[in-house]
Amino acid sequence: MNRIDVLLKNRVSFLTDSKSSDDIAISSRVRLARNLARFPFPVAANDATLTEIRDLVCGGMERCGALGRNFLLFDMEETTPIDRAVLFERRLVSKELLERKIGAALLCGKDEAVAAMVNEEDHLRLQSIVPGFRLEEAYRQVASLNDALENVLEFAFDDTLGYLTSCPTNVGTGIRASVMLHLPALVLTGEINAAVRGIGKLNLAVRGIFGEGTDNRGNLFQVSNQSTLGESELQIIHSLDNVIKQLILHEKNARNLLLDKNPNMLLDKVGRAYGILRHAYKLSGEEALNALSFMRIGVDLGMFSNVDIATVNELFINIGDAHLQKKENRAAKSADELDAMRAAMVRERLRA
Amino acid sequence: MLCDICKKNQATIHIHEIIDGKKKEINLCAECAAKKAPAGIDIGPFNLGEVLFNLDKISTPAMPPQPQNDDAQPPAAAQEVVCPECGWTLEKVRTSGGRLGCPNCYTAFRPMIEAALSNIHRGKVHLGKRPRENRREDGSALLLLELSDLQKELQTLIAAEEYEKAAVVRDRINDLKLRIAAGKDTPVL
Repeated sequence: MNRIDVLLKNRVSFLTDSKSSDDIAISSRVRLARNLARFPFPVAANDATLTEIRDLVCGGMERCGALGRNFLLFDMEETTPIDRAVLFERRLVSKELLERKIGAALLCGKDEAVAAMVNEEDHLRLQSIVPGFRLEEAYRQVASLNDALENVLEFAFDDTLGYLTSCPTNVGTGIRASVMLHLPALVLTGEINAAVRGIGKLNLAVRGIFGEGTDNRGNLFQVSNQSTLGESELQIIHSLDNVIKQLILHEKNARNLLLDKNPNMLLDKVGRAYGILRHAYKLSGEEALNALSFMRIGVDLGMFSNVDIATVNELFINIGDAHLQKKENRAAKSADELDAMRAAMVRERLRA
Repeated sequence: MLCDICKKNQATIHIHEIIDGKKKEINLCAECAAKKAPAGIDIGPFNLGEVLFNLDKISTPAMPPQPQNDDAQPPAAAQEVVCPECGWTLEKVRTSGGRLGCPNCYTAFRPMIEAALSNIHRGKVHLGKRPRENRREDGSALLLLELSDLQKELQTLIAAEEYEKAAVVRDRINDLKLRIAAGKDTPVL
């Protein structure tokens, strides 16, 4: 079986193992940046060195056994564009990794909960994604991958500065912890702007769902730490935890306020979104994402007896262009055709 | 989504402007965006490298203006710092968006980096995880734990004069010690 098909059979745990209490925080992710000692960072490495680094890392991963014996290796030099797009939509690789080719690779366990990008900005970007608001659990998973790798590889480390990274913005712990939040009520009430400004003042970042430079389609936001030096990993995670708890409370308040003051506005948006998803014959990615966002509030509010949160969450991934074409096993000839494929898939999933 | 100007290429640049509370959205392809750029407010491309390190200030030598140099002579370049390991220079830091070339760059460019680090981070000293410090989950720590348990058991057995059982435990201890020693010899790359 093709490696990408192994992934496509997965349930995408960080989305589908959500419980009903995971209504606002969709998933938690922790990433650690690491580099091999005595090698230039990818930006300064030539093709031969990049390849050597990739082979060292892959060999190390095999010996340490942290991803299981049959972990998946995607060599970006050989991975087709559509498969690379699938990996991106599943949040296993970044845009930056896709732009590189020589020596770039993704290593992940079969369940894709823990993964490692090789030769992105740093030699290694280890990541773990879990459903809901559970940063500490994600950190423990990625830390144990790190510890296993450290038995077989030596990472660049300085006594004062900690783990050395290509960009000084990541030096020290190399940690980037982020939580994907669904904040439609804060967007509807317009409070989101103040919230985003406030978070910025706390030295935390807010981004769209697909990382740097993307907007807030689907009312989805990613809140993450910026500072990586001067605090321990758990301190960083706990202060992020506190801010996110506040945000979740604000979102809950905003939802209650909307239900109290203007219930028909909110219910109308949910109902129309469901109508579009259930009956449209053409759906652009953006329209689908926004409709899913409102349908998700409806699920959170218990308006749908036959749709659970996991179904909606899974649709967030399956409406992706690459996932659609992979599922149909054909390339769409035009954007129109893709929109038709998307609408058909969503109708099918919500029919049950 | 197609580009708003040429309506042919895929729009890859999305600009959202909020003016007086009204949201305006422009979607452009890279080509049209490049053509359009000079018309708008052009502050040049955002360069993380320059922002991080104040490179424009650093690369100019900190010398009082010298009158004889008035006639557009290029200032004598500040002593160019080059990382001896990877050959990285300040210019490279600038053109690569603030990235360093190798671990040794942190030493080569230390003064410049220290200033940048205190702007970016909460502290200046790493307080987090260290290599091979947190070994609770790995095999060798477990082996050490088992070893100390067995050594206690051995003492108890000897005190109780259970020599046959003690011999079995002693053999297990020796075996463990060998395994731990073998683990330490595992070459580290």
